[in-house]
Amino acid sequence: MAERIRLEKTIVSENDRLAAVLAARFDEAGLLAVNLMSSPGAGKTSLLEATARHLSADLRLAAVDGDLATDRDAQRIQRAGMPCRQINTGGGCHLNGKQVAEAVKAFDLARLDILFIENVGNLVCPASFDLGEHRRIVVSSTPEGDDKPVKYPVAFRSADAVVLNKIDLIPVTDFSLDAYREFVRDVVKPGVPLLELSCKTGEGLDAWFDWLRAQRAAVAAEVAGRRE
Amino acid sequence: MHEVSLAQAVWRQVAAEMADHAGRRLVAVHVVVGAMSGADPESLEFALGLLAAESDWPDADMDVRQEPVVLVCRGCGHEYEMTEVRLVCPACGGADVEPTRGMELRLESLEVE
Repeated sequence: MAERIRLEKTIVSENDRLAAVLAARFDEAGLLAVNLMSSPGAGKTSLLEATARHLSADLRLAAVDGDLATDRDAQRIQRAGMPCRQINTGGGCHLNGKQVAEAVKAFDLARLDILFIENVGNLVCPASFDLGEHRRIVVSSTPEGDDKPVKYPVAFRSADAVVLNKIDLIPVTDFSLDAYREFVRDVVKPGVPLLELSCKTGEGLDAWFDWLRAQRAAVAAEVAGRRE
Repeated sequence: MHEVSLAQAVWRQVAAEMADHAGRRLVAVHVVVGAMSGADPESLEFALGLLAAESDWPDADMDVRQEPVVLVCRGCGHEYEMTEVRLVCPACGGADVEPTRGMELRLESLEVE
């Protein structure tokens, strides 16, 4: 007769353990770590290029960038003025803590203000992999359609800010901004901002830069609070 | 896509538990995945089975059950099961709802002989 042993134990994966180590390193270094997730082509790299051009003068920025096989993203980000380390996942659909831990060795973290982690373009798997980041961003874009938030609720629910890119294309698509705003409101955590912008025209980018600056200060306060 | 790595984490935990029951045979592993955990129950069951075949208990039954998302409204305290992708409290209309169940992967129990 079999005996049933009740455990009710949450499975903590190897990745969660690594993420905790990364988080501690990011805290120690005093930087803001931001994980960017989106479907392919939504504009994560474009957002980092724009960020590099506008904020590099005041803030020390760096990025690690996940891509299946190429280093095109890292080259673009570097050309825009932000040091960037490419991570090739070799077909892997998300970044994991091990890859990020290896890639950030390229930087002196204590000399950075913001570290961006650009995930592999995919709105499913990256949502389940904590990379030790302080803040998580989901980027979506108008040509993808206005129902992305309800189709990928796990990713959107985990976001600390939602960026809607390519708002300049709204007139030539079937995208409904009202519908999108409602879908976002339905799935995100309370108080999570929606930043509507266009990396192409620059419209709305200031709100993104302000958000980043505000998060730097907020995270510094959170880390100091935990130390007390 | 990442159910294999999750299955490996489950098996590490199973092996650790079985170390406390040395000499006994593992009959079944019961795992619960939340509907918003990001893991697909069918793929996870498949991956657990592959790892079982390589374990000391190749015949152990791998059971993965999906559990619904349970939300609690911080405004009015209403607790309810999520039936649509809409994180708004049906009782008071507030948006400050927090999932209390259905976000995680849990090793619920083992059956041993």
